[in-house]
Amino acid sequence: MWSLQPLAERLEQSDIGTAIAESRYAFPVIEGTHLLSLAISVGLIILIDLRLVGLLMRDVPARTLVAQLRPYALWGYAIVFISGVLLLWSEATSVIASPAWTFKWIFMALAGINALYFEFIVARRPLVDGDQGALPRDLKAAGLASMSLWTLVIVCGRLIAYLPRWP
Amino acid sequence: MSLTELANVLQASRLSHAIAKSNHLLIAALQIVHVLGITLLLASLCLITLRLWGLLLAQRSAAQVVREASGLLWLGVVLAITSGTFMFLGSPRHYVYNPAFEVKMTLLVLAIVAELMFLRAAAAGRLPRIALKLGAGLSFSLWLAVGVAGRAIGFV
Repeated sequence: MWSLQPLAERLEQSDIGTAIAESRYAFPVIEGTHLLSLAISVGLIILIDLRLVGLLMRDVPARTLVAQLRPYALWGYAIVFISGVLLLWSEATSVIASPAWTFKWIFMALAGINALYFEFIVARRPLVDGDQGALPRDLKAAGLASMSLWTLVIVCGRLIAYLPRWP
Repeated sequence: MSLTELANVLQASRLSHAIAKSNHLLIAALQIVHVLGITLLLASLCLITLRLWGLLLAQRSAAQVVREASGLLWLGVVLAITSGTFMFLGSPRHYVYNPAFEVKMTLLVLAIVAELMFLRAAAAGRLPRIALKLGAGLSFSLWLAVGVAGRAIGFV
């Protein structure tokens, strides 16, 4: 982590970084945007996961629900990501010093790998085509992994402010 | 009893002291539950709104989608309100003097009452399509406004 420290300092002291930190409205507006778009985007992903696990709308084909919710989840996620980068820009040194930030990235990477595995390997099998009701076990596992990982991402994100440095 | 007196009484209570003096990770845990509750609430409301606007699950009746997503929606509301109540009890005076908190509570009451009435009517399939679309847009905006006012508490 320490190798990131000089870069973080430069980000934070850049014009954009100081502008966000010093503006009366920029920081709260960006933080509010981050929180609300994350609730919608990650929440929609969790709804899809609940369908995969079999706890929601079991008689809607999983493929249909995924296809119809995906664009909203992805556009929402773009907003979450951009607002997150802007927040990082304005307080990079304190954010990257937190262990919660490191773990947040680990869980985000795992959730990303899980999503790619689901999209390109599991969901492409012809077996899934006519799926109604209960799904094969590895689809359920992918759903369970996704909702657990995203929940951990939210937990770590909220903990950044509470765990400022490594013990 | 005025609101200020009530806040003083609450602040002097044992529960309030216990929360305020507890490990700061308890407050963090409450905030995490708060965010997860908001996530469930907004996502299920988003699903309902998209269906009522005719943007997805066309093969399924709107009333059915409302019934299926309502459970998660109210679970989110309960999680957010329960965690929020404990956050409030930790330092009531900090909140009652905050104008954003007052706005948030007013909007919250409005949003809950509107949501109860609207979802009940929508689940029963009693509303014309235009009322469903308008109602969905209105309730979604109302909850977003609750979120914005809530976020503002920390900054005013």
